[in-house]
Amino acid sequence: MANMVNLTIDGKKVQSPERMNLIDAAELNGIHIPNLCYLKGSKGIGACRLCLVEIEGLKAPMVACTMKVKEGMIVNTKTEKVQEIRKFTIDLILSMHPFDCMTCTKAGICRLQEYAYDLGIKESSFTRKTFGYPTDETNPFIKRDPEYCILCGKCVRICKEQGTNVLGFMGRGVDSKVITANDKPLKESGCTFCGSCIDACPVNALLEADRWRKGREWEYEKINSVCLLCGNSCDITVRTKDGSAMLITAGEVEGSPERYICAYGRFGFDCIEADTRVTFPLIRVNGELRETTWQNVIDVLAKELEKSTKNSGFITTGSLLNEDALTLKRLVFDVVKTKNIDTTVSLYGDLDTLISGDADIESADLFVLVDLDPDQQERVLPALDAIIRRRVNAGLKLITINSAEPAIAPVAAANLVGDETKTLRSFAKAIIDKGIAGDKRLTSEVSGASTTEIIDTAATLFVEAENPIILTSPAMYLAAANISLLKGAAVSVPIESNAKGALMMGLTTNGKSYNDMISGGLTLLYAIGAVPLDKRPDVGFLIVQNSHLTELAKQADVVLPSAAFLEADGTIVDYLGRLRHVCKAVEPAGEAKTDREIFVDIAKAMGVDMKEAKESEAKRLIKIKTAVSFNPFARSEGLDLEAGELIESINAQVINGSRLLWLKEAEVASD
Amino acid sequence: MLIDALEKMAMVADLLTDEQRKRAVLMQVFYKVQKENNYLPEDKLREISEELKIPLSEVYSTASFYKQFHFMPRGKNIVCVCVGTACHVRGAPKVLEKLEEEFGVKAGETAKDLSVTLETVGCIGCCGLAPVITLNEEISGEVNAKKLKEVVDIVLGKTNVQLTS
Repeated sequence: MANMVNLTIDGKKVQSPERMNLIDAAELNGIHIPNLCYLKGSKGIGACRLCLVEIEGLKAPMVACTMKVKEGMIVNTKTEKVQEIRKFTIDLILSMHPFDCMTCTKAGICRLQEYAYDLGIKESSFTRKTFGYPTDETNPFIKRDPEYCILCGKCVRICKEQGTNVLGFMGRGVDSKVITANDKPLKESGCTFCGSCIDACPVNALLEADRWRKGREWEYEKINSVCLLCGNSCDITVRTKDGSAMLITAGEVEGSPERYICAYGRFGFDCIEADTRVTFPLIRVNGELRETTWQNVIDVLAKELEKSTKNSGFITTGSLLNEDALTLKRLVFDVVKTKNIDTTVSLYGDLDTLISGDADIESADLFVLVDLDPDQQERVLPALDAIIRRRVNAGLKLITINSAEPAIAPVAAANLVGDETKTLRSFAKAIIDKGIAGDKRLTSEVSGASTTEIIDTAATLFVEAENPIILTSPAMYLAAANISLLKGAAVSVPIESNAKGALMMGLTTNGKSYNDMISGGLTLLYAIGAVPLDKRPDVGFLIVQNSHLTELAKQADVVLPSAAFLEADGTIVDYLGRLRHVCKAVEPAGEAKTDREIFVDIAKAMGVDMKEAKESEAKRLIKIKTAVSFNPFARSEGLDLEAGELIESINAQVINGSRLLWLKEAEVASD
Repeated sequence: MLIDALEKMAMVADLLTDEQRKRAVLMQVFYKVQKENNYLPEDKLREISEELKIPLSEVYSTASFYKQFHFMPRGKNIVCVCVGTACHVRGAPKVLEKLEEEFGVKAGETAKDLSVTLETVGCIGCCGLAPVITLNEEISGEVNAKKLKEVVDIVLGKTNVQLTS
């Protein structure tokens, strides 16, 4: 814990960690110092002059965002003098800002409106000026309207610090403008449409493109949840109105390096109201899928399952919630009585390669990225890419070990390109040579390895680091974890959001594997969730339980409408092994039910009174690897599914059912 | 003496990080590119961005901060009207209006045939000669109708005479 200093703010005796700036210190103690340009988590730039405060003993007002706390400091944030200055500043800004708060989408969350209200400014006393800049509405995600821009630069800085680098200032003085390179529309600028700039914008200059008359801040209900669309499982905040999701923003606290969501997480939610949603159970009659009742469909299913028992198979994805997974396991093992259950997780990992030890990522000062290529542009673990870049800006060192140079290479201190197993071996040798004692087997195993200058540099960084953390693909986990025998910890990063949870809940191959089951031969196959399959496997009876009518669902004998992402409560275990709560934001569409409700209904029809699994049961099953032992330096076999490919196919229904489809169309158009 | 200077330079080099160093050369690169192309073409800026590993948005941002860098092709002749206080009082707005009319462009624009770029400037430091205009590197002071016609004729290629200052 940081040392605390004592100071007085507005007559209140308070404490704050040393070296903290005055805005954060005041906020920590419930006092808000007005500011427009301060981007929490980044260095203050003192541009907007709104955070001026008076400090006893100092003549001139000081800028709170750049001023650090000092022992005994006496700060006054609301003196007549600073309030006058703030009034003048807001007055000036308003002279170049539209006066349309009555219809402005950002009303209620706009900082400028808030401060004008607080300071009682109805009109600007200066001559009003408008620039007549055009709006950029050439994409379905982000609308840029420079007429509202107050040039605070938060969008420019957030874009830069996360490494996207699309926005910048053009010109200077009163004529400056936030632009992309050569003032091109966003769609031609290399923008990834993550929307971080929207979350940062204090006014109406940047907003979601579809927001016009879709409700304002005070009309929304806010629900904190977790995105399930990839292995990063980012925190999200969902805003709903009249039972529909209206908007999703990054859910992590301001200033956290983890405060990031990608275009999928932010804009993919349209899919829950897409035309492709299944809202009634469907059953095949005379070759055609027809609507039916739950009662009927469950009865049919129960009979089919009773018939095929051991010869049934169940497949699902690694984004199934823990409680659903546990309930499913009961249905499969205790009611249907088969061992054939597996998930898409088996395509890229298993218990040995995915369950890793405890790692305190927040205090890490070095990351070693092994066989991972997080990439915001390609949307492969984009949040990891943004998080690492921000951490590097804050002083963390990065080493990459990859067969080809990864997208994040430019910010790395050392890039070890080449065969990963060989590099890891040499890396271990170089570390041991620097005097770090290792496991006997490890030491003898690597004794013959040769090192190079760059590996040696990387090893020095590793040895000097206090808390190095190795982030690795599951396929390389066993080999990479050997390094953690010397120092630090290793974390295996999965492709899907609840891959670790699914394994911990026990959805592992006992009978036939996922690949065995989809290659046909079963009398009955039950597919839950958006399994990446387009063609019906050669099975006797196919059940698809999913939120959307996918290509596979169209070929099924029975389709069960399940709750979509945002429509169910539950928990997951994220890539760091943390239990995370997924909260229901909207009711399931039509007659859709949660996965576990459906499993319970089926069990009941088969004569077993089964209960839905609870969070407390899931919690008990969360396990962390307590001891890492030596494993040969080798890539685990059969786990080389390409991450980007799987993410795109498991999210096909999200992409095709939402405005994200535009991204794919834009890609095709530019090819 | 020389060794002393070199040692000092090495000390400066130590202080600069690679990031600072590549940003330091940016201005020189802009000058060079503009000299070769008479403006900063997008493809060249893109090359600079890739070569120096500085984001393109930042390259544009830096270049646009300075008035002397241009993103559009410029005319063969550059006519600049001083609109400083003294020139303003002595009729600069009328001079500018006349030139805009003659060249068929607004201040800050370049003629389609690239014959001329018309610009304004804050003050060129010879207020005693107001109103002042410059044609390329040359100054024409106490501009009147006759002198203005001279400039227009030179620019539009109607005469080969030299500018009388």
